[in-house]
Amino acid sequence: MTLQETRFAADAGAPVRPVPPRTNKPRRRFPAGAAVTVAVLGIFVFAPVYWVLVTALTPTNAVYEFPPRFWPRHVTLQHFTALVHTPVLLHYLINSLVVSIATAVLTVLVSAYTGYSFAKFRYRGRRSLMYLILASQMFPQAVLLITLYLVFSQVGLLNSYLALILSFTTFTLPLCVWMMKGFFDTIPDELIEAAKVDGAGQFAIIHRILLPVSLPGLVATGLFAFIRGWNDFIFALTLGGPDHLTLPPGLANHYIGEFETGWPELMAASLVVSLPVVIGFAVLQRYLVAGLTSGAVKG
Amino acid sequence: MSENISRRGLLKVLGVGAGAVAAGPLLAACAPSTSAPKPADSEAALKDDGVKEFAITSWAYNEANTKQPLQDEIDKYTAAHSGVKISTPSFPYNDYLNQLLLQVRGGTVVGAMQLDVAWLATLAATGKLVDLSSVAKGVDYTDAALALGKSNNVQYALPWTQAGIGILANQEIMTKAGITKAPATIDEFEQAMTAIKGQGVTPYAAMTKPDQLKDIIPWMWTFGAKLVEDGKITIGDEASVAAVTWYKKIYDLKYSAPDVNRVDARALFSQGKCCFYEDAISGKSTVIKSSPDKDLASKVTTIARPVAKSGDKPQHLAWGQVVAVFDGKGVAAAADFAKTITSETSYTTPWFTKAGLPPTTKSGLAAPDITGDKYSSDFAKNIAAYSTADPFWVYPQFSQMEVALAQAVQGILIGKTSVQDGLNAAKAQMTSLMS
Repeated sequence: MTLQETRFAADAGAPVRPVPPRTNKPRRRFPAGAAVTVAVLGIFVFAPVYWVLVTALTPTNAVYEFPPRFWPRHVTLQHFTALVHTPVLLHYLINSLVVSIATAVLTVLVSAYTGYSFAKFRYRGRRSLMYLILASQMFPQAVLLITLYLVFSQVGLLNSYLALILSFTTFTLPLCVWMMKGFFDTIPDELIEAAKVDGAGQFAIIHRILLPVSLPGLVATGLFAFIRGWNDFIFALTLGGPDHLTLPPGLANHYIGEFETGWPELMAASLVVSLPVVIGFAVLQRYLVAGLTSGAVKG
Repeated sequence: MSENISRRGLLKVLGVGAGAVAAGPLLAACAPSTSAPKPADSEAALKDDGVKEFAITSWAYNEANTKQPLQDEIDKYTAAHSGVKISTPSFPYNDYLNQLLLQVRGGTVVGAMQLDVAWLATLAATGKLVDLSSVAKGVDYTDAALALGKSNNVQYALPWTQAGIGILANQEIMTKAGITKAPATIDEFEQAMTAIKGQGVTPYAAMTKPDQLKDIIPWMWTFGAKLVEDGKITIGDEASVAAVTWYKKIYDLKYSAPDVNRVDARALFSQGKCCFYEDAISGKSTVIKSSPDKDLASKVTTIARPVAKSGDKPQHLAWGQVVAVFDGKGVAAAADFAKTITSETSYTTPWFTKAGLPPTTKSGLAAPDITGDKYSSDFAKNIAAYSTADPFWVYPQFSQMEVALAQAVQGILIGKTSVQDGLNAAKAQMTSLMS
């Protein structure tokens, strides 16, 4: 196989939606069991989102109505309009985006090279190293918080973006390395051999051949790391300091108090700041699905 | 070339994971020991080093109703003291203690800090708090308030606000039920609850979820239990068994409701679905804000906790906030700030009027703004005057001890165990946490 053929093969590996052949067969009906399953799963997934929306639209003095109402009696947008007067939320949102995107990029970079090494090379200590990386995932993350806090304090990294990015990357890497290894395992060695025959070096093989083919895996890995950075509470609260608070601790700081919690305001803020991420995921979801399932079937 | 995890490999990984989990308790050694190191002489520790920059770490700076009042106090103080710069790190109340302990370990915390009175012993055990007895000298703090700032008889903190956890009542529901005077004894309280039950509301939204079931403590006191005597837990004695038996009785009679914590109780009270519940002094503003009843403010009243027999002293759990100072740069400036905001009437009165938190000095309590506020006066008279510190607060593991007690009481309420067995188990668990 030449490099040209290799590229063709690589293109063939990209997630192209197959066009179903036209047939005269009647369309299969959606089985009732599947419909029920989807409905139950839909309720399971969307009921909390619905409740968040209802709470955000309910006037403050009706939020604690007992028993709670599934359909709000009165609807208000006051909690959404109040967000305009809460500029600190934009600050939290920017911090979250900076930290999550940087975590995703760093994780993808490191896990791609490490995963490639584990998948395509044989060397002494490789298996032990692989298991060691996997074992690090077994540690309760809260236990590592104290250690990380002390280390970052000693080296002057506390209260910085870097502290958050490094700590999040530390926790995402083990799984992401294994995800990328699984992805590279599915790429046939013949592709690499063909590239070598055409005179490509290791740098060209990984950057010009493998990484373009692995785009779904890279996106899936990046999204996983992004979610980790986006959702974290305790590390962001502890290591970031007041100027680098991300959304989870920022919202808790702003709306949850000793005596009262501004539930409707908190729900409205949560919905609004989630929108950019939801849109981003909607755009990238086909890569996420392809990337997560690519290593699932041994070919 | 694909390679999957072998069974042996997976077992190795799980072994490492199990080891990590097993190592968890070892990390508990990072927690402060039970005995605080003796602090340096107060005046020597507070010698002015000339540094005028310090922090006031708080949760007040996070919260809507206290952020601006605190900023006003800081602005006023810095305007009156040239060269002083005050930073305002803050953490949410629920994570505050853990964050502080971590910062103490990292050596990154300096200056003054707001503390819940329950946390003082835990922070004092780190050995980083300064003895403020020389600062408190000559200030007219009330004796009860000053005592809340002490741990092991050392004045580690200055009292900022002090009240108690007391019973709030809806006067309108009481009147409709034909109750013309506040129930003073447990018998009267039971009669009142029977009458209120007939109105179709929960008479007493007592805590029945473990997270706030420490509220059983003042009821145990009411029945004569001491809880701790000569450094030993006495839970499980006759008086504490009688208290929990009574608490279960009103639960079984549906005078209280299952699965209620403070948040649930406030929700029920704000909606007019219960007549009595227990809260700190700030509870009133919370329930009013979330109530559809615009007149609720005029209906909220406080009652002293009913006593076992006429003539007994009502019992309430103390609640309050103190300001402590960490050893380090700017310690004298931070201590002066702590003294100013907790004792000068020009600071304590606005703190009360804006944040609703009463002062701790005799002169502050005598200010017209405080004496003219009926709810606060009643709260002070009926509840704060009879409030006592939780006997477990002196132990750094107080939180786990309270959880052990709360879980035992919840088990008793739902009939999982007998009163005596449940309390005996709690006693054993709490005793093991004392050492």
